[in-house]
Amino acid sequence: MFATLVEKELKSILLSPKFVATFAVCTVLILLSVFVGIREYKASIAEYETASQLSEQAVRSATSWWGVSPRVFRKPNPMQIFSAGVNNDIGRLSDISTWTDVKLRQSSYSDNTLFALFRFIDFAFIVQLVLSLFAILFTYDAINGERESGTLKLSFSNAVPRGTFVLSKFVGAWLGLTIPLLIPILLAVLLAMVMGVPMTGVEWSKLAMLIGVSVLYFTFFVMLGLLVSSLTKRSATSFLVLLVIWVCLVLIIPRAATMAAGQLVEVPSVAEVESQKDRFRTDRWDAFGKRRSEAWRERMAGAEGMSQDDRRDFMDNNREKWAQEDDESRQLMEQEIAENSRVVDEELRNRKAEQEQVAFRLARMSPASAYQLAATNLAGTNTSLKARYEDAMKAYRTAYAAFIADKRAEEQRKAREESSRNRSGMRITFGGGGDSPVDSSEMPRFEEPDQSFASALEPSLADLGLLGAFTVLCFAGAFIAFLRYDVR
Amino acid sequence: MELQSPSRALLEADNLTKRYEDGQLALDHVNFAVAAGEIYAMLGGNGAGKTTTINLFLNFIEPTEGEARVDGIVTHRDPLAAKKKLAYVSENVMLYPNFTALQNLDFFARLGGRTDYSKDAYRDVLLRVGLQEEAHGRRLKGFSKGMRQKCGIAIAILKDAPAILLDEPTSGLDPKAAYEFIGLLDSLRGEGKAILMSTHDIFRARDVANTIGIMNQGKLVMQRSKQDLAGEDLEKVYVEYMAGYMDRETETV
Amino acid sequence: MFRLIVEKELRETLGTTKFAVTFAVCAVLILLAFYVGARNYQVGRAEYEAARAENLKQMEGLTDWGRVDHRIFMPPQPLAALVSGVANDIGRTTEVETRGELRSENSRFNEDPMFAVFRFLDLEFLFGVVLSLFAILFAYDAINGEKERGTLRLSFANSIPRDRYILGKLVGAFLALAIPLLIPILIGCVLLPILGVPMDNGAWLRLGLVVLAGYLYLGVFLALSVFISAMTERSATSFLMLLVVWIVAVLIVPRASVLVAGRAVDVPSIDRINFDKSKFETQLWQEDRDKMMDWQEENSREGESGREFFERFQQYTQELGEERNQRISEYTARLNEERRNRESVQQRVALGIARISPTAVFTLATTNLAGTSLSLKHQYQAESATYQKIYSDFIKEKTGRTNSGMVIRLGGEEEEELDPIDPYELPDFSFAGPQTADVTAAALPDLGLLVLFNVVFFAGAFVSFLKYDVR
Repeated sequence: MFATLVEKELKSILLSPKFVATFAVCTVLILLSVFVGIREYKASIAEYETASQLSEQAVRSATSWWGVSPRVFRKPNPMQIFSAGVNNDIGRLSDISTWTDVKLRQSSYSDNTLFALFRFIDFAFIVQLVLSLFAILFTYDAINGERESGTLKLSFSNAVPRGTFVLSKFVGAWLGLTIPLLIPILLAVLLAMVMGVPMTGVEWSKLAMLIGVSVLYFTFFVMLGLLVSSLTKRSATSFLVLLVIWVCLVLIIPRAATMAAGQLVEVPSVAEVESQKDRFRTDRWDAFGKRRSEAWRERMAGAEGMSQDDRRDFMDNNREKWAQEDDESRQLMEQEIAENSRVVDEELRNRKAEQEQVAFRLARMSPASAYQLAATNLAGTNTSLKARYEDAMKAYRTAYAAFIADKRAEEQRKAREESSRNRSGMRITFGGGGDSPVDSSEMPRFEEPDQSFASALEPSLADLGLLGAFTVLCFAGAFIAFLRYDVR
Repeated sequence: MELQSPSRALLEADNLTKRYEDGQLALDHVNFAVAAGEIYAMLGGNGAGKTTTINLFLNFIEPTEGEARVDGIVTHRDPLAAKKKLAYVSENVMLYPNFTALQNLDFFARLGGRTDYSKDAYRDVLLRVGLQEEAHGRRLKGFSKGMRQKCGIAIAILKDAPAILLDEPTSGLDPKAAYEFIGLLDSLRGEGKAILMSTHDIFRARDVANTIGIMNQGKLVMQRSKQDLAGEDLEKVYVEYMAGYMDRETETV
Repeated sequence: MFRLIVEKELRETLGTTKFAVTFAVCAVLILLAFYVGARNYQVGRAEYEAARAENLKQMEGLTDWGRVDHRIFMPPQPLAALVSGVANDIGRTTEVETRGELRSENSRFNEDPMFAVFRFLDLEFLFGVVLSLFAILFAYDAINGEKERGTLRLSFANSIPRDRYILGKLVGAFLALAIPLLIPILIGCVLLPILGVPMDNGAWLRLGLVVLAGYLYLGVFLALSVFISAMTERSATSFLMLLVVWIVAVLIVPRASVLVAGRAVDVPSIDRINFDKSKFETQLWQEDRDKMMDWQEENSREGESGREFFERFQQYTQELGEERNQRISEYTARLNEERRNRESVQQRVALGIARISPTAVFTLATTNLAGTSLSLKHQYQAESATYQKIYSDFIKEKTGRTNSGMVIRLGGEEEEELDPIDPYELPDFSFAGPQTADVTAAALPDLGLLVLFNVVFFAGAFVSFLKYDVR
């Protein structure tokens, strides 16, 4: 009985003329999205590689450690093919210097604004918008359509338990829609392999997970279609209701939620934060300047009443010590500034995180947002991508600062030695360095932050659970609604 | 078989032939005429060509050969002029589900060029076709097939055209309503309308029609006046003609 | 007759629950878009003012114009609240130097990637995506639905010319959607000045044109729906077809065409250009350094005091520096020019292909009108560059030097008391934003294209309806 019903359901889906059309469209779109994604990925990898090389070259050709300002780039990640997330919105690079904070800038959208106009097309986008719409298209009349055509009455004139009937509907519709969809998805994966996207094992498992989430999301819409179809008498009504629900869930709620959160949680603007940091910095530098002037006055006081020669000797003897004192004092101040920046940044980040949390909580009312968040989390292109890279870059900056401080001190010492050696003539040197390029091989290298499967999965677990809950809810609702459905 | 009619013919089929694009011959040189104050009933099975005939009078399709004339106007030459003189009731009237009966009537009356009716006139006509007063302001959505049919007939009456085409007008009506409808037709005939109706209902056709035509596979296989059929069992005649035609058909093949 | 059909169409549409539901959804969304847009503008404006004031405040107490750290900002565009375009993608803050290239940073989406995840719900999105879908929902069965209900037969049993009928249907469907939508739009327009969005005549005109573009765009989808419904027998078929067309035209074509066609044109990456620039700079600097060394060797005169020597040397470096800067800026300008040319080729190709979708045309028209199109970035860059000249002249006048050569300070410890500068003397930078005449001119071709789409689809609907089998 069950098998007969499922078979009928499968046939009615697979043999319907709309199936061919939608299946073709889905296949083309999924393959197109992955193809475009791979091309974009390759373009950005090429860009990344040249940029990194150029930056390295610049470091290598520097003749003094004072002239070195390395620049680190965010490495494109193959998962962005499937879910681009905010990848194109956040900066691609940061300058690493002892003077300024790490800050990702020059997003690919701000550099190539043309691509920002219509944004990206990726697998997650196709699933989120197109497949969900098609799921509705195939299930909106699953129950009430049978009532309208009279087959429901006919079926129930036989000894068919309602539970079996509705269950077979679910199973049949799900199989009939999901299995065919797996074909283009697998083709897309194949395409990625053929076009030589370098994916690690972790990334493969993330991709598998992403496909799983996509199927779950799709299942939700199949269930939703069945639910609404068993709640309404006429298929025209259920379609309208479903379309409005779809518009709200997919197009409206995600956007409206972030906008609402933007209004609900105030976050200090960049200008405010920068000014706060700048103020602190200027204050400290002023204080430092004053301290130094005072120190100099004191030091000069020690030379009071000395003759010209004594004075020079006194200066020479103490130069090293004073420089060290100044250096230490400056380093202390710089540390303070860095600490303050860190605190201010962290505060800002916390506020933003809070805002984000409110936004995403609101957005998760819609399974479409839950899906998108899960997909970006899995792909590592979520909003924390920025923080992840900035943290890694900050760690690198610390390592780099320590390294460069050593190198510069060494250089300074050399220069000082040199200048004391030939201090007879009038000589102005530039940039302190010599003509030979610096040895950059010892420079610390930037390590991309690595995201393990577990750490990518963990934030998306909540979304997965939510999607599952939504689906089960719809299923249960449809089941109950159908048990009480008036088959006439 | 030439029909002698005392007044001029309002609806005329002259060698009316229709062959569809797929080669199917739907109508094969059909000739008849309906005069003012006459009812012509077309009998015949499904696919006999009854609806095709009506479609040709409405110029929904163009004849392959011959012509359909309404008050002397060839329908496919000047369809708009011809349709001015036609009222039509379709099989299984649907109308606009979100309009009330009155709104539907108002729209189609004005579409037919009648802008002079008052609401009361609509109500009168609806009562005349047997639609209860309480239903007049309700949306068509909840109407039964018979109620919708009554609205369709009301629309045809309102147009007040000299010729009326009826496609299975009694198909959705209960026996009482069908009986009342026959009375209505009779009174319309009394007003001097020429009425062409297709029907499956042999007995009602016999009761009301001046002339009865039997169609089979696109051919008008029999055409006899009421007087001519007076003593005969029409059902028997019908079955005989259908069967006889079949036989002849099989013979020629 | 025509009026009768229009009237019937209006009544038939307005009386349905379908209409009530969709209208309620649209009205809420439109009002939301206006409200949140206006609020965002307010917040953006406040941030902008704060940032400007803060920048000037930081300079207070400085004594040397050479040490000011001046920034200019892009103010929020009033209409960006309704049509965000690329306004959130491009940098808003620019650090002004007296020389060298300016770079704008801190795009909104870079600062708040949260907003980039789902993007904004603005008027352009509403019309482009939501309303176009609703237009289909209302007109997909315009012709074949009447046929299915048998009313087409009944109507054409009367003497009605077909052209009149189809025109009436289209006009009726359009009015049924357009007039109710005007209500929330007008309320939204009233909200704008109340919520503190400064709207001058030009802005009103542009907003009016944005709404007009929206209506034209709706018209395109209505005409297309009527067209397809006049080509098909069953309304279920036409709906499926229209849905596929909608997905392709609205969601796929704009994105895919820009991505595919855009990448077909090779544009040198910013990183590459930056590298070339800095390489050139280093090379020049190296050359100049050698020259300076040589100069020292050759020009050290016996018996000259250090100060005199320095002064002559500084003059020399100044000259060298000016020449170097000249060459650098020429070189940079050339590279930028080349890149911009390539970029505009890329843009032309990509957008040209994207324009097969009415949605892309609509987006381009409205972003142009709102001043949030791709040209916003160039305009901002151009205005910043103009300001840079003014600023550099100002600094030169104040300090007597151009910051171009080397700053050699003599007399390290002997600090003289300097008067603090007055940062409010700085020349004011206010981004004029796109001019009404320019943006209107830029949007006209796209508006024309929308009209053309309307005409083509209407003609299609007309022709296929003339041949339509009304049985």
